[in-house]
Amino acid sequence: MKKVLNRTFLLVLVLTLSFASLVNAEVVEVEFWHGFSGARLEVLEKIVADFNALNPKQQIRTMLYGTYEEGLARFLAAHPVKQEPALIGLYEGAMGAIHDSGMIIPAYQIPEKVGVEWDFGQYVRPIVTYYSRDGNLWSWPMASSTAMIYYNADHLREAGLDPDSPPTSWDELHEYGLALIEAGVVKHALAFGWPDWMFENQLALHNLEYCNEGNGREGHPTEVSWPNEFTDKLLTKWGDMAADGVWTYGGVEYDANGAFQSGELTFLMQSTSSLDGILRTVGDDFEVRTTFLPRLSEEYTRGNTLIGGSSLYVSNQATQEELEVIFEFYKYLARPEVDIYWHQNTGYFPSTNAALQRLMDGGWFTESRNHLTAFLQILSGKTDSHAAAGMKLGMFVQAREWNRDAIEKVSRGEDQRKALQYSADQVNKLLAEYNEFIQN
Amino acid sequence: MDRFPKHRVLPYGLIFPSISIIAIFLIYPFGQAIYQSFHRINPVRRQLVNVGWRNYVDMFQSSEYLNSFRNSFIFGVIVIGLGLAISLGIALLTTQRIRGAAIYQIAFIWTYAMSPIIAGVMWSLMFDPSIGLMTHVVGNLTGYWINFFNDTVAAFILVSVASIWVMLGYNITFFVAGLQNVPHELREAASIDGANTWQVFWIITFPMLSPTVVFLLFVNTIYAFFQSFGLIDVITMGGPSRATEFLIYKIYRDGFGRMQEGQAAAQSVVLFIIIAIVGAIQIYTSTRSAVYER
Repeated sequence: MKKVLNRTFLLVLVLTLSFASLVNAEVVEVEFWHGFSGARLEVLEKIVADFNALNPKQQIRTMLYGTYEEGLARFLAAHPVKQEPALIGLYEGAMGAIHDSGMIIPAYQIPEKVGVEWDFGQYVRPIVTYYSRDGNLWSWPMASSTAMIYYNADHLREAGLDPDSPPTSWDELHEYGLALIEAGVVKHALAFGWPDWMFENQLALHNLEYCNEGNGREGHPTEVSWPNEFTDKLLTKWGDMAADGVWTYGGVEYDANGAFQSGELTFLMQSTSSLDGILRTVGDDFEVRTTFLPRLSEEYTRGNTLIGGSSLYVSNQATQEELEVIFEFYKYLARPEVDIYWHQNTGYFPSTNAALQRLMDGGWFTESRNHLTAFLQILSGKTDSHAAAGMKLGMFVQAREWNRDAIEKVSRGEDQRKALQYSADQVNKLLAEYNEFIQN
Repeated sequence: MDRFPKHRVLPYGLIFPSISIIAIFLIYPFGQAIYQSFHRINPVRRQLVNVGWRNYVDMFQSSEYLNSFRNSFIFGVIVIGLGLAISLGIALLTTQRIRGAAIYQIAFIWTYAMSPIIAGVMWSLMFDPSIGLMTHVVGNLTGYWINFFNDTVAAFILVSVASIWVMLGYNITFFVAGLQNVPHELREAASIDGANTWQVFWIITFPMLSPTVVFLLFVNTIYAFFQSFGLIDVITMGGPSRATEFLIYKIYRDGFGRMQEGQAAAQSVVLFIIIAIVGAIQIYTSTRSAVYER
């Protein structure tokens, strides 16, 4: 009896296994690594689940890789041993290194590889410009953001300031801050997240390049442009604001959001991707408004703010079947309703012009005008200069770290020129080493 | 000497799983680290370039590394010295014959049950420059407003205090256990002979506690140099201006963030040597002075 049972069991096992492998043979599952943590994760999971429900044979499996930095390091380490995912979302800081790596298929070649034509004109222009190389799109737009000012309109009213005319320049921001502190509304008026990115944004906003070789878009940069006359003025301003208590250093990433949300600060400079989180947390506690980043002085021409967030890259080791799934997923992301869902729940820009129009026609931007601010800011900016398009360099992570180091010193009252020069020297050394590697 | 007659192969078979795990997960990666420490890895194209001793030479010439080295040692001394002293003090107090001693013991011990991530989030919220409860308490009492986001000294102190706090429960547990093993008669006899509390502690209790102290010294050294990683990552991420970028955190940043794996490998080899030397000295000197006899 026992023997018979054993045999039956074995038979069932063999049958199940062979059946399972038969079914599996038809399903193509694409691994997708991403860095969308927090509230954004649920939104992404919903989009992927809906996509997977469309066609059981084409599946995307998501995996959160941790921070953006870790994501880049992991991809670069996994690719040579063929353990990398076919699809990965990486941040703007990864662009230089990943373009140089030769491990990806440039985005513009993907439609061709699956045998279709695709109109890249349907995507919002500044996003395409940012992720392009020699006029071709290298990574697929998905989660684009830029920086803007969030402000507490109630605070401005309390201090007798007009919430309809928020500061437009650093001088005005400084004055407003002093007035708010004097009126006893806040102890500090301003903080920002991603200080290094804010510095980069200020350069781009004044149409100034960050590094040579056409801001890194025409070749591998050999040195950074700072310190210069502009950064002298900007960092002196920041130093003065810190000395007056107007600006308080708000940490590396999103630490300052908490202070803004609890009404301890009037102004917050942060990525648009924080918008929905902030609106949800603040609720009816006070009126959140948003406006464009401040300018330093009109003696510099206008540029644009920088695109941040992440975009999608495809490994050059992906199979043809995987490519087809990925392209289906890309097409799915471009559907206006999906794009709109993503935008409305994360604060990232809609990527396509069709979604944009539908949002406008449906009255979304009048209903939630804070969702329009950053978008209008970037659409109204310049797109035809390397400075406004944003810089590209291979050792981005370290460049940022050194830049941040200088900003931290300025916030502590140290000499800005000395601090920035020291950081620039370190970055230039790193650029030289990187270029040496690239040429070998 | 044949300890297992008739079983020549079996003993090797039995230890094989543990040995192979050690070989695969400890010895092989360590060999890899040594190999990588003599190379630089092209961050984007992954070729290895042999650079000889350059990683080591650069390391000891880099002011960032020397800075990290110095800070790690100050941090180690604070966390180990102050941490052990405070926990011994608390353990002594909670083993006194007082009402509810057990409750106090548990109350002090539970900090160890908390994950470093939770502890880190708790401390960084408590001292958040804008919304931190303790920031406001300290600020209103003294007029000094702590901002550990950009104040290097504040960040250093915060990380040290949090690290000591996390380890308190563990240290107290062992001290309490050690103290309960000190025979009561000995202390009583000394008191009758006219020794005051301080003398009883130094002459009777502390020497009898020395095996515990030796053990905790070693565990806390490992903690301060390696396991403090989680707290640092949550509270300061090595900042501001690298003030809390201790050796172990710098290795992580260089290897996995800054894409300088060769340099990180060289640092990890150096860190290993330092810890091995410190550990050996500690065990050697303290096992000789510790009293194991009862």
